Amino acid sequence: MKINRRNFLTYTTAAALGGAAGTLLTPVPWKLMDDAAIWTQNWPWTPVPEAGPVSYKPSICTLCPGGCGIYVRFSGNRPVKIEGMKEHPVNKGALCPMGLSGLQYLYGPDRVRSPLKREGKRGEGKWKKITWDEALAAVTEKLASLRKLEEPQSVACITGMEGGTLPSLIGRFLTVYGSPNLMRQATAQDAGAQAVFLTQGKQGTPGFDIENADFILSFGSGMLDGWGAPGRMSRLFGARNTAQRFIQIEPRLSDTAASANRWIGINPGTEGALALGLAHIIVKESLYNKHFVETFTFGFNDWNDEAGVAHTGFKALLEGYGPENVSRITGIQEALIKSLAREFAGSSRPIAINGRGKGALPGGMNETLAVHALNALMGNINKTGGLYVIPELTYAKWPDLGMDGIASRGMRQPRCDGAGGDLFPNSRFLLNRVPTLINTTKDGSPVEALLVVDANPMYTLPDTAATRKAFERIPFIVSFSSYMDETASYADYILPDHSPLERYQDVPAPAGMSHQVISLAVPVIKPLYDTRHTGDAFIHMAKALGGFIEEAFPWNGYEAFLEDTLQGHWRILKKKGVVEIIETPAASDRFTFNTASAKYEFYPTARAGTGKRDSDVLPAYAPAILDGDEKTFNLILIPCDSIRMAGDHMASSPFMTKTVDDTVLKKQMTLVEINPATALKLNLEEGGKALLKTPKGKASVLIHLYEGIMPGLIAMPRGLGHTAYSEYLANKGTNINELMGPIEDPASGLDMAWGIRAQLFRV
Amino acid sequence: MGSNGHHHAASTKATPDSAIQASGWGVGLFFMIGFAGSLLAGWILFPEMLYSKKKQPIDFNHAVHLETVSDGCDSCHYFEKDGSFTGMPDLSKCVDCHESAQTGNPEEIKFVDEYVTPGIEVPWLNYSKQPDCVFFSHAAHVMGAGMSCESCHGDIGTSEHTRVYEENRLTGYSRDIWGKNISRLGKPEPGAPLPMKMNDCAKCHEEKTGRKGACFQCHK
Amino acid sequence: MKEKHDYERARRYGMVIDLDKCTGCGACMVGCYMENNVPFKPDETNKLDSINWIRVYKLNNGKPYPETEICYLPMPCMQCDGVDLHGHSPCVSVCPAVATDYDDDTGIVSQIYTRCFGCRYCMAACPYHARKFNWWDPVWPADMKKALSPDVSPRMRGVVEKCSFCFHRYQLARNKAYFENRQNEPLGEDDYQTACAQACPTGTITFGDLNNKAHAVHQLKTSPNAFRLLERLGTNPKVYYLTAKNWVRRQGDNYLTDEEPGKLKQKR
Repeated sequence: MKINRRNFLTYTTAAALGGAAGTLLTPVPWKLMDDAAIWTQNWPWTPVPEAGPVSYKPSICTLCPGGCGIYVRFSGNRPVKIEGMKEHPVNKGALCPMGLSGLQYLYGPDRVRSPLKREGKRGEGKWKKITWDEALAAVTEKLASLRKLEEPQSVACITGMEGGTLPSLIGRFLTVYGSPNLMRQATAQDAGAQAVFLTQGKQGTPGFDIENADFILSFGSGMLDGWGAPGRMSRLFGARNTAQRFIQIEPRLSDTAASANRWIGINPGTEGALALGLAHIIVKESLYNKHFVETFTFGFNDWNDEAGVAHTGFKALLEGYGPENVSRITGIQEALIKSLAREFAGSSRPIAINGRGKGALPGGMNETLAVHALNALMGNINKTGGLYVIPELTYAKWPDLGMDGIASRGMRQPRCDGAGGDLFPNSRFLLNRVPTLINTTKDGSPVEALLVVDANPMYTLPDTAATRKAFERIPFIVSFSSYMDETASYADYILPDHSPLERYQDVPAPAGMSHQVISLAVPVIKPLYDTRHTGDAFIHMAKALGGFIEEAFPWNGYEAFLEDTLQGHWRILKKKGVVEIIETPAASDRFTFNTASAKYEFYPTARAGTGKRDSDVLPAYAPAILDGDEKTFNLILIPCDSIRMAGDHMASSPFMTKTVDDTVLKKQMTLVEINPATALKLNLEEGGKALLKTPKGKASVLIHLYEGIMPGLIAMPRGLGHTAYSEYLANKGTNINELMGPIEDPASGLDMAWGIRAQLFRV
Repeated sequence: MGSNGHHHAASTKATPDSAIQASGWGVGLFFMIGFAGSLLAGWILFPEMLYSKKKQPIDFNHAVHLETVSDGCDSCHYFEKDGSFTGMPDLSKCVDCHESAQTGNPEEIKFVDEYVTPGIEVPWLNYSKQPDCVFFSHAAHVMGAGMSCESCHGDIGTSEHTRVYEENRLTGYSRDIWGKNISRLGKPEPGAPLPMKMNDCAKCHEEKTGRKGACFQCHK
Repeated sequence: MKEKHDYERARRYGMVIDLDKCTGCGACMVGCYMENNVPFKPDETNKLDSINWIRVYKLNNGKPYPETEICYLPMPCMQCDGVDLHGHSPCVSVCPAVATDYDDDTGIVSQIYTRCFGCRYCMAACPYHARKFNWWDPVWPADMKKALSPDVSPRMRGVVEKCSFCFHRYQLARNKAYFENRQNEPLGEDDYQTACAQACPTGTITFGDLNNKAHAVHQLKTSPNAFRLLERLGTNPKVYYLTAKNWVRRQGDNYLTDEEPGKLKQKR
């Protein structure tokens, strides 16, 4: 047997065949087939979540002012889910989509992971990572230099929280530094608080005992769209009994209206007139609580003051709001107005609530006063099923402030928003006025340095273009945001706060609750990134500024400050996470009012003053004058809210956006709702492209035909159109604030806008 | 490849020159060489090549621990109150006893120095690790069916050293899942861990309960 | 072949969804996403490729303003029992890979992702659009992977997924039952609840064993207001809906103009 070139192939083949035959008798093919199958089922890029012991940590959701109780479910040391806390008095286990997706805000790509200094142009997105020492030194240096120039009042701070100790800490910082300019964007709750102050003389927020009311008359409040504490409202709706009637009044069939016992369409913005119209019937037909009105109220009937001057009372005001007139204004049939008034007054515990949608916009003060007056007419003040006042928490006494001349002089300067001044003495902050005030200042800006905490004014303030213009003129902007939001991305420095699950935060009065519940959000995990509690940052800056400013902050950190501030509550809060104060005021105290008359004032004397006529003081129907010429802008654009979308400074989480229907958002376009009848006139069809123009701006939109909206209106969802953040949150539709501007309420200075004139073209 | 070889064989046959023709013996011999070679490779070399050999980070002595603890396997491998099985204990459990080295054993000293002191979890290699799609209930087997640990895991409790961990290069799982015996014929040696592939589960379930069980019984 | 099974004694997990309580808030969807590691993309507005195990649909009575009414309808997998309740649900019948199967013990239709090879026959067969296909490998940006639950295995590109009635919670509940030596007793209602039922803030979704008299669903499903979707197909869904609104009920099946929902003879 010779091996040569020719037979080599034969032998090789023989060997290969032998090899193949042999291989079949080995495990090789069978084992490899099996292993390959397993291999294809376990791609390395498909994550395998690590298992660990399951545990639950209690805390409070601070993504909105609702303050719902939560349990964070852990797998090992990883939070993997947020669930509602059954034993929490606010939500009793219920949570909204935002709260449920809270972990996406913790782990998401939008977090600011370390302090940043702007490198390129403002808003360009070029940043340099800096250390905390560098960041705090830069801000402190700026603040110190403004003090040196004796212009401490040129520092302003915008916070987002409606209460809690952090705004108090920042307020204390600004005071001792010498600036009165602590602001936040007012909401319907602030309008309610002012109404409570005007009518009852109390500093506090209105709390509605919807749990125990048997007739709930909502003037457009999106009780199931994110109004108040969403968890609480949804749960209440699910648990309501058949004896409870729930009437929703608004021009669009919202999810709240759809779930109500009855939905009544109304011309937008005329809710105040309807409230007065209902009061008219109730008074005319003597259906009101005479004992309460006669004993505990002031300004119901006409009266003569000490100087003998005759004044008009609330009853006389109502004469102008007969059903015929109100029907004309509101578009609601006379008979319906009458029956609604009778049904309201005929219920044993009726309650009227207001604040459109989520309550993001404060609305006109007179409108809120008119709704409060409805409750007062029925005597439903500070009683079961009625309107309560949740007093502002009185915190422990902090050490007295020692202030120098610069600080005292600064504090005496008028606020940069005009709140509390001659024009608007009863308003505490009017952020909505600031952009205009800056833009109309001839040289420079009244605000030299702006500190933004837990707020995103460049997204949330109406009239985005004007806001941007104003911010361009502010030389120094610092954001303390945890996320790369619109304001943070426009700032000069970002000093990122921990995210809500990583930090302490007290929630003193959940929005709309009928009694005081103090909750404490606790850090459930160690901070993921190089972030720092904003409270700690401010305490650090105070210490760096030195002298009496340092002395005003004897605490070594925010936690120590919180403990000292909450004192008695702290121990319970640390242990239980929540302090519930259900104070049933003694019968004698219930009708103790701190107004000038010591009564509930239908005629708020705090609004009276030189040059004020009775018609300025009484809550007459004062419609907002919408921007734009009625002929050119022949439609009206109104915002609409959904619980599936964040409306405030936070953007909707990816999971929230995922739940949004394709009749609301399609790719990068917002769909606006119009009535099919309106669409027919404008030659618009479902899904078609259109150009939406208002006096403030224009946007490319898609059309969604919706029978549930009043003809002539365009509804646009709020909460879309973020321009900052990651691709998961940004560039989805239009921010309605680009199309809508603020309307200053002459009575309060608050933003009373509820819509704007608009036109819609097919493109 | 096979058909290609055949083609060559056919063309060789057509060649007139017998001197260069392959002999039948030769073909048979080479066939046998290939045959035997592949058998050797398939049965001996292949299993060697398929698995990479890894050492456990610490040479753990089960026997010593079992003598010291009071509660048998349960002392370290126990159930949580929710019925979930903890499996390999994490460092905090070890630290209960090993905050500092108890003996002069070099492995223990290494354990304390490298893991306990810096607080790093030991990256133990799990011989029974299942793919992510598998849900295995220890409670059902131990509490429900009254099975002992040994009945699946073998007599690991008496081992004085950790075994070499053989990791399948293709799947990433331990050789134990397939079984030590590459052919899967015959029974595992007494005291050896049982193979844990889906068929093994199903076979036992069918024997013991009369049904293979529903997909969701063991999948997630 | 499926063995004969005593359906009266077996568990048949099911859901009763009270549409008159649903406010359309979407908490069930988000609760489900978080619980079941449902993936998300930067753009989820193409609902044909958006993966949802439960989706809330918006129904409209079509009447002009102001007589318009809307109703929200949450739709999980219907967990069909199939004709004659033998587990021949539309999807199980067509799956060539036994990747989806009917569990005789619970009545739940399982989906094993590692077994599925993505032919999508089941999607074509399902009359409820309950099944979703992974056209892409899911991506969890930044640290989002850290939120993944170990109880549900993440899916890969090329497989179908759907609602499992949170079967992993059943597994965990059984684990606990074994540990507490009550494995031979039926699980209580609270022992095993789906994530959507738990997340629903209004109590719209009630979940339990339809065959267990102690569970609320047993009674609820017999309400005169109860109906099931496309009932006449004979798929025998285990998801029941309640509504007092006739127009909603009409949209639950294909009715002729002279047919009245609720008055038709049903096969159970």
